[in-house]
Amino acid sequence: MSLDITKKNQKIRIAAFLAVMGPGVIAGLSDDDPAGITTYSQLGAQFGYKLLWTLVISTVALIIFQDLGARIGVVTRQGLIGLVRQKYGARAGSFSAVALILANVGTMTAEFAGVAAAGQLFGISRYVTVPLTAIFISVLVLRGTFKKAERIFFVLSAVFISYVIAGFMSHPHWGSAFKGMLTPAMPFNSSAINIATATLGTTLAPWGLAFIQSYAVDKRLTRSDLKLLRADVWVGSLLTGVIGFFVIVTCAATLHAQGITNITQASDAANALKPLAGTLAKDIFAIGIIGAALLAASILPLSTAYSVSDLTGSPAALDDSFSEAPLFYITFASITVVAGALIMIPGVSLIWILISSQILNAILLLPLLGYMYGIARDKKLMGDFVAQRGARILYGAIIALVAVCVLAQFWFMFKL
Amino acid sequence: MKATPVSQINTVAKRLVGRRDRVIGRKSVRDSLVSVAGLIGRPVRDPEGREIGRLVDIVVRHGEETYPPVSGLIVKVANRKSFINGARIDKLTPNEIVLSSTKINLESFQRRAGESLLDADVLDHQIVDVDGLRVVRTSDLYLAPFDKEIRVIGVDISFMSFLRRLFPGSLARRPTPDHIIDWAAVASLTDASGVVRTASTRSALSQLRPADLADLIEDLAGREQGALIEMLDPDLAADALEEMEDDELEGLLRGLSSERAAELLARMEPDEAAEVLRDLSDEHRESILDAMQTTIAKPLRKLVSFDEELAGGIMTTHLLIVKESDTVASALKLLVENRERDSSDGVVVVDSRGKLLDHIQTVELIAAQPEDLLELLIRAPFPTAVSPETPIDEVVEEFSNNRGSSIIVVDEKQKPIGRILADDLVDTLSQKSSRIFSQGGGTRS
Repeated sequence: MSLDITKKNQKIRIAAFLAVMGPGVIAGLSDDDPAGITTYSQLGAQFGYKLLWTLVISTVALIIFQDLGARIGVVTRQGLIGLVRQKYGARAGSFSAVALILANVGTMTAEFAGVAAAGQLFGISRYVTVPLTAIFISVLVLRGTFKKAERIFFVLSAVFISYVIAGFMSHPHWGSAFKGMLTPAMPFNSSAINIATATLGTTLAPWGLAFIQSYAVDKRLTRSDLKLLRADVWVGSLLTGVIGFFVIVTCAATLHAQGITNITQASDAANALKPLAGTLAKDIFAIGIIGAALLAASILPLSTAYSVSDLTGSPAALDDSFSEAPLFYITFASITVVAGALIMIPGVSLIWILISSQILNAILLLPLLGYMYGIARDKKLMGDFVAQRGARILYGAIIALVAVCVLAQFWFMFKL
Repeated sequence: MKATPVSQINTVAKRLVGRRDRVIGRKSVRDSLVSVAGLIGRPVRDPEGREIGRLVDIVVRHGEETYPPVSGLIVKVANRKSFINGARIDKLTPNEIVLSSTKINLESFQRRAGESLLDADVLDHQIVDVDGLRVVRTSDLYLAPFDKEIRVIGVDISFMSFLRRLFPGSLARRPTPDHIIDWAAVASLTDASGVVRTASTRSALSQLRPADLADLIEDLAGREQGALIEMLDPDLAADALEEMEDDELEGLLRGLSSERAAELLARMEPDEAAEVLRDLSDEHRESILDAMQTTIAKPLRKLVSFDEELAGGIMTTHLLIVKESDTVASALKLLVENRERDSSDGVVVVDSRGKLLDHIQTVELIAAQPEDLLELLIRAPFPTAVSPETPIDEVVEEFSNNRGSSIIVVDEKQKPIGRILADDLVDTLSQKSSRIFSQGGGTRS
């Protein structure tokens, strides 16, 4: 028996990277959920390549704040909602948690809607696809180890490649695309501002921020894991932007060029692609939607369950049994069941649920980013990792930008 | 909602305090309970009922007393935060505080050692639930007059009490005494300067297994970790530290003073301590070693200098060395004296010049006559000896060839300087293959 230590070390390092690799990528990519795909499709269909720069800014904001969330989780060993309760009081903590629950139920409904719509493209009824999805994600996340679930998430993430393929199949004008990424041009009208805000809101989702922090706490990641975790978060956030980019150019090259500008569902985009880029492009796009929905639908109830347990002060872990963390599992189940039921009630206006959850997400995002900023500069909580001047300016600038977008959207919303 | 653990903690509180009356059980105390969460933001008045300002925080002093007394109030007067001495408090109700004189000194607040702020440091912060072995959050704290002063009587960690605080008006301020845990059973970890420490929390913590304690410590962050360590008996703390993950431990030591770190490392097994020290920065390591007694620091320095891929890097220097001319009885006595150490399964016998002769198992010693000389017991199988520069994979090979439970490490003059136990090797190898991903399956209970 002989061990080649250095070779083994190298192997271990790669394995370790893959082992930590995951939460950041999963949290990032689940922002590219059906709601996200719809928004990106609409951005491309309505404005062509012109507003691609909003995606660039959103991706930068996502990287910065996911990175901050990972750091806060590792350093403080507490989830976001718990820290808000500790630093800003019981009411602030409860408001955040309740808003998060409502917004997450709405978003979860949107994920189910995505699955239902994509399933219908293949001729399968929503009464089959939605319950199957609910059972699939519950078993995946709650049964067996999360490690296994993570691997399946990873395979699921692979479906995002379909968007890249669809992007190339649509033969976009790459020059215009890169020009759109780098030159900020903003038509000042409500639809442009709406779609820009929605892009920011769907990319930088509150539940994603809460998830990455809780995950770091659950998995007891330490300061020495932080480098890997941050790499993971950066890769995940960047990939989110890259996928978004391909969705936008696909729609810009096909739908926008043909004057089709009205996209209200992710499946609309898939359907509209069919005559322009062929049945295969449509199918690939639809498979992408299902994979994206499954991924996000697995993370959403998990993120909510983490946050609720965190608020009550008894942090829960995936490895806990039901009797150890009943609240964690009850929350998980409630979110899944309520959202699944909403989508299956005939005659329920889905569009109302989708819009109101998007508004809630926007309302929630602003204070949550503010709280994170406050935590980041709290020396008592962050110790050596307290945010320095440069970082604080960066956080402040992003928060200001989000504030401007949210206010502009509300202004247009209530004016119209 | 975790209803059960709360009642369990109450049981523990009973057990901890024993026959002594629990303060919370006294009717006079129960009837005058004031919720801290409800009181924050309420008016502070002079004897004539005029509002002086609003309550921002309550300062308590931690000392030898089980129930910490209120040493002052932080009150917002005309948009400035001022400190009012606790001796000025005349009446404390759930709705307001009335001071005893119209003339009050408004000082600016300076935190003194051993003081903590109930709202800023304790309320909604994490505390250790010793009984449930969990980290929980404070939902509320209760004050009551007791033993001539207003004191912190108990803490509430129930979710119901947390929800109660969300309601508007007087509903939020009504005490719910059923969920209170007597302060005597509480270990709060929030104050950096003066750790909340009572005899009973100490004894409760000392009943935990080191592995459980290590889990608890890992659940906490920076300054709370330090506070919990401060509260522990040093020997128990050292045991718990040995159970922690390497990088957790490294972070923890960064948060402790060099003196405290030195004290804890000195009580750990030398090989474990050396392993930790090796991972620290040169400067940090030196400051800890300098704070140690030379007798302990010297062998540790030597251990640290060995590469951790070599035999010297994983060996323990804790050896029970006896001469061949000693008696069986004296060897057994030495073993009994060192029974706390896990490396005491036998003694290492050397000749008059200190060269290694044999390793004699405890069983062999017991079977022999007490007055026999050890040289009579020296016989095959002889222990395997390696030099400290032997690479680990060769050590592994030696182990599998000889099927022994330990290998002796000798210097160039064949003098024994350390020992490698099979479990040290298992630790080393398993850590190599699972540095990061083993952390997922932590046992939480």
